[in-house]
Amino acid sequence: MKVAYFSPLPPETSGVADYSALLVPALRRHVELEVMPRGRRRPPRGTDLCLYHVGNDPEAHGWIVEALRRWPGVVVLHEFVLHHLVSGLTLGRRDVAAYLGAMEREAGVVGRLLGLGVVDGCVPPLWESRPEDFPLAGFVLDATQSRGVVVHSRYAEQRVVEAGYEGPVWRIPHPAWPPPAVQPAAIPGPLVGCLGNLNASKRIPQVLDAFVRIRERHPDARLLLVGAAAPLSDLDARVDALGLDAAVVREGYVDEMRFWSLMAACDVCVSLRAPTMGETSGSAVRALSLGKPLVVSDVGWFSELPDDAVVKIPADEREVARLAAALDLLLTREDVRTALGQQAREHARTEHDLERVAEHYAAALEEAAGGPAVREAVLADVALAAADSGVEPGSPEAAELGARLREARIGE
Amino acid sequence: MRIAVCAPQVPFTRGGAEILAERLVVELRARDHDTDLVTVPFKWYPGTRVLSQAFLWRLLDLEESDGRPIDLVIATKFPSYAVRHPRKIVWLLHQFRQAYDLDRTELGQFDESPVDRATRRAVHRLDRIALGEARAIFATSRNVAGRLERTLGIHAEVLPHPPQELDYRCDDYGDFVLSVNRLDRAKRIDLLLDALAADERLHVVIAGDGPDRERLEEHARVRGLDGRAVFAGRVDGDDLADLYARCLAVYYAPVDEDFGMVPYEAFLAEKPVVTTTDAGGPLDVVADRRTGLVCPPDADAIAAACGWLLEHRDDARVYGQAGKALAEQLSWERAIERLLAVGTG
Repeated sequence: MKVAYFSPLPPETSGVADYSALLVPALRRHVELEVMPRGRRRPPRGTDLCLYHVGNDPEAHGWIVEALRRWPGVVVLHEFVLHHLVSGLTLGRRDVAAYLGAMEREAGVVGRLLGLGVVDGCVPPLWESRPEDFPLAGFVLDATQSRGVVVHSRYAEQRVVEAGYEGPVWRIPHPAWPPPAVQPAAIPGPLVGCLGNLNASKRIPQVLDAFVRIRERHPDARLLLVGAAAPLSDLDARVDALGLDAAVVREGYVDEMRFWSLMAACDVCVSLRAPTMGETSGSAVRALSLGKPLVVSDVGWFSELPDDAVVKIPADEREVARLAAALDLLLTREDVRTALGQQAREHARTEHDLERVAEHYAAALEEAAGGPAVREAVLADVALAAADSGVEPGSPEAAELGARLREARIGE
Repeated sequence: MRIAVCAPQVPFTRGGAEILAERLVVELRARDHDTDLVTVPFKWYPGTRVLSQAFLWRLLDLEESDGRPIDLVIATKFPSYAVRHPRKIVWLLHQFRQAYDLDRTELGQFDESPVDRATRRAVHRLDRIALGEARAIFATSRNVAGRLERTLGIHAEVLPHPPQELDYRCDDYGDFVLSVNRLDRAKRIDLLLDALAADERLHVVIAGDGPDRERLEEHARVRGLDGRAVFAGRVDGDDLADLYARCLAVYYAPVDEDFGMVPYEAFLAEKPVVTTTDAGGPLDVVADRRTGLVCPPDADAIAAACGWLLEHRDDARVYGQAGKALAEQLSWERAIERLLAVGTG
């Protein structure tokens, strides 16, 4: 079985590119994969199924969605909120009708009117102001033509089902990287790390506020911020204003080995997220793999992590206080750090095991490529026998046959 | 109690699974349980036929028969455990191995086409559903239980069963090695024939029949083994007991076998078993130089093992007697007690 694989890949710098770099070699042990070069919108001859990795960045994923719309296939939905992607693929290409269509599919006439407001400039761009209220995932889900969707969390699975998707949905955990043997970076002091793209939903202002309180009890503690900061985030100004210059260690985008080395140096990692776009976090998965005590937001996929492997903080008015309390506990109690880290590592080793994930992918792809034909063949066998026995369509006997087939999931 | 023992039937074929199901019925009846054997023919090819044939089990209504309830269903191997019943227990002989460990081997059935790949996955799904419904799952060996756990994450309690009733005895440690098997590729009789070619002192008697017989006979002819390899075909119980009683040792080396009653039968006749390191279930009881010889799966090693036993018949006796002590620990009393305790609890 041959699968055409559409995804950003290194040297592109994105979570999805890293994800695919990890997954592709493992998945190749199960199915024949042909990885499509960036920009190629047509699968090669003899392809049985196309697999599309879709995230919210139109620059990274635009060509992939274009290919999907011409050659329906299975989509890996790395985020559920795709408003930015959809606006880029529609308004970004002067296709106002397509954007309004996506808004209408999402929210009916009101959606269309809001979309018109955006186009006319009366309403601020929704992909910046309220993307989570208008995820526009239907734009991508429809394009699969029910071949199937892969998600990484129950949260995303539920959102897909709620969006009215009728094709198969496979929930496959994010694979974990095997931690490389690296020396921890030499950074003194009890170290709290926040690693990954530092965009608006990472709650960096709240982390800084909490860290001010932490410094009162742990004057030597340092906060490591790693990753490209979102434009207009005023990160440096905030750090200055809070008097944290000496406490914050700042690194921009770093390569993979430096990333691991920096994370290995941390005593505690923080991976907050609110609002959630239905994504997982490669950074959080790496922290779990390393057995680092991890503090996350109590939202989406993060909520689904085991309670004994991470500390969860609701994104509410007490967020800063709770985060400070959690960090204080973790920096004070080595036994708690150790226990949490052990459970984190165990969770990564089992739930996020790369081979297990690859096997789940293979099962999903094989089902997507051949499942409908199998069901049809079984159904034909059963229907023929039923017809030969005088079972009429619509009869109770036919209903019984249908019920049993559905129950056994072999010929729905 | 009214009990239905469910087992698929492959017409004109008989092996350990059939013997187990029939024996289970006899033993349950002997304990005053109103028991019957329920079978449905099973054909697993071509293509998706494995699913539509398995589906036949799903249509059976075994909740009652002739107006009286059936209290318990004991299903054995794929696809009989697809049967529906509120009190279903599974005594698993094996899954449909072509969809699992035999996939992408020469013993597999499914090719790389999308339909074949999806058919294999549909077997997995059906197994999850059918086995997931069971009140309890027992496996006839650690190997079967381990495979179930590895492939589907489903736990089974290991519950071996005693071998068939025969007039087991030991008359001699003769000059031939006995093979008792259905003749198909997975049983690796050709390895034994190649071993025979490697040591001219060896003789074998091959009891059993099957689709691979013609090829094996030709293989023996090509290797010039005429007279030293006897294909006895399917033998009755008395003849089998006689062969066990007179042989030097028993060869039993299928690929990753589920359970295999043959080692236990050999042990009851006080005969050591020659097996291979990749034989699976038999390794639960065949321990190297304790109850037999365990060697790598190659002809020279098997020839060396059989040749060694030929030269060390006292050791063959010691190993066989140690095996007998193991085999005698298996009893129907214990097996049925456990099955019914869980099935009716």
